[in-house]
Amino acid sequence: MSESGVLAVYKYLDQVVDVMEKIKGRADFAGHEVFSPTSYHEIEHAGGFGSSPVKWFTLVGGMTGTISGFVLPLLCDYDWPMVVGGKTAGIYSLPAYVIIGFELTILLGAIATIAGMLVMGRIPNPKATIMDVRTTDDHFAIFVPGIDESSEQATLLRSGGASEIRTVGVNG
Amino acid sequence: MTEKWTKTVSDVNDGILANLNNPHPMFYVAWVISGLCVLLGIGCWAYQTTVGMGAAGINSPVYWGVYITNFVFWVGIGHAGTLISAILFLFRAKWRNTVARGAEAMTIFAVITAGLFPLIHVGRLWLAPYWMAPLPNTNNLWVNFRSPLVWDIFAISTYLTVSLLFWYMGMVPDLASIRDRVKGFKRLIYGLLSFGWRGTAKQWHHYEAGYGFLAALATPLVLSVHSVVSWDFAMSLQPGWHTTIFPPYFVAGAILSGCSMVYTLLVPIRKMFRFEGFITEDHLESCLKLTLLTSSIVAYAYGIEFFIAWYSGNEQEWAIFRSRAIGPYSFYFWTMVFCNCIFPLIWWSKRMRRNIPISMFVAVLVNVGMWFERYNIVLSSLVEDFVPGSWGHYEPSLIEIGITIGSFGWFFFWFFIFCKFFPIVSMSEIKLIMPKPMSRAEQK
Repeated sequence: MSESGVLAVYKYLDQVVDVMEKIKGRADFAGHEVFSPTSYHEIEHAGGFGSSPVKWFTLVGGMTGTISGFVLPLLCDYDWPMVVGGKTAGIYSLPAYVIIGFELTILLGAIATIAGMLVMGRIPNPKATIMDVRTTDDHFAIFVPGIDESSEQATLLRSGGASEIRTVGVNG
Repeated sequence: MTEKWTKTVSDVNDGILANLNNPHPMFYVAWVISGLCVLLGIGCWAYQTTVGMGAAGINSPVYWGVYITNFVFWVGIGHAGTLISAILFLFRAKWRNTVARGAEAMTIFAVITAGLFPLIHVGRLWLAPYWMAPLPNTNNLWVNFRSPLVWDIFAISTYLTVSLLFWYMGMVPDLASIRDRVKGFKRLIYGLLSFGWRGTAKQWHHYEAGYGFLAALATPLVLSVHSVVSWDFAMSLQPGWHTTIFPPYFVAGAILSGCSMVYTLLVPIRKMFRFEGFITEDHLESCLKLTLLTSSIVAYAYGIEFFIAWYSGNEQEWAIFRSRAIGPYSFYFWTMVFCNCIFPLIWWSKRMRRNIPISMFVAVLVNVGMWFERYNIVLSSLVEDFVPGSWGHYEPSLIEIGITIGSFGWFFFWFFIFCKFFPIVSMSEIKLIMPKPMSRAEQK
């Protein structure tokens, strides 16, 4: 399935931010996407995305790490108690396991964070369409699906200072 | 601080990605030299593995020699990369945006180099998984989780994995930039490497959140890793090692050696790939200020270590420290003191910080000094312990020296590959600290 839409290319940050403010939440711009060469905070504010759910990935990953970091040495110690220093079997050296717990918290927390970034950013995506190669360099762009260049929405995009307006097709 | 930029956001991709095309001929010369060093190292390692550990100079009472020195040295080098990329990110230090990528790459390759040394040191490396990983051996015995050596395995492997993820995730948008510039087969490769990153506002939003969390996780990690390495020493009862100052002392030393290594690497890269407009003199100067700060901390640690050895009234401890300063290995001690504490003092002067050739020379000296610091710590406590009858002598064999040269070659070999095929400066991050592309004059 392929559909098409209109891509408006902007040269300047303030222009794209102004347009984003205007079209935010409007039903006739549903599904629009903004492209930016880097993570300008102005765009993030104008987008109004709220708090990213990546934090829940980090939390769950980190807690899994803490628990497994204590469970792993405890199980090993249970399987083969090391009876040293007059300790009987069944006494566990918890302070020594803090280090394992700490390291695994960081490890699994970091892996889960990466997973969160990938899942929430919908990548890897082999079908992704590169709308305009300049958006990873120094240009900004707004893509609105399902409209054509003569529509009222395209006029709004153009009036915001777009340097270029064109129709592009996207894969599935 | 407002900085003067001679470049604009539009110059970034063209300027930074110049490295993908035709590097300076010196680049290939350096690459081949480092490759030859790797071959030397591999040859020495193969010889040692074939004939046994007798090929190395380590023998009773000194069972930790140059290999462990190299291990601690290379782990330490890695620390500045994470410090710059994670801790300075949390502090919002703008200069880190230009140097972070190169510093992180340095971390990765340094930790990989460090990871080789325990394997080289154990001799029969095919048995290493049994003492490294929680795998039961033939007697169904697990690893000893109370041993700092096992903590070390967890710390170093976590450090390598997290640094790698942090570095790679930071590079994804830049790899997408390369993908959008090249054609054909290269485009396919960089397209796969960049995961199909498109730079949508939502992707950036989640990316920023995740990057912050990674930085927050990497910060305690970097402080913990060298602390754990220092416990390899401090958890023993050996005089000269068994001190509580070791963790902060090691972390400061690690960051000192790492920062000077960052400077040592950045100056030639900046010249070779013409990055003067991006890595400005201000950024290099900030790196030197950080080196100076950690040098002072290290100097303080050296001083307090001596003071406590004397003040504790422990005879063995004081004997070791006296022997470090005036004994048979005092050359290493004074090299370390001069290189790490005295020579960096020139950076109190702004004129010296701005003088790149002199600063480069001193930065190399700091690297030398930090290597000798580890050598001094490993050696002096082992040659003379509690029982004079077991005192001994150590000097590295040619095989050990060959493997050490090989490790430097190995580090630079990978670093050069990185310099040729990847963006050395984080393009998406440098765009953030440059003047924003505005159609109107900026209003606050």
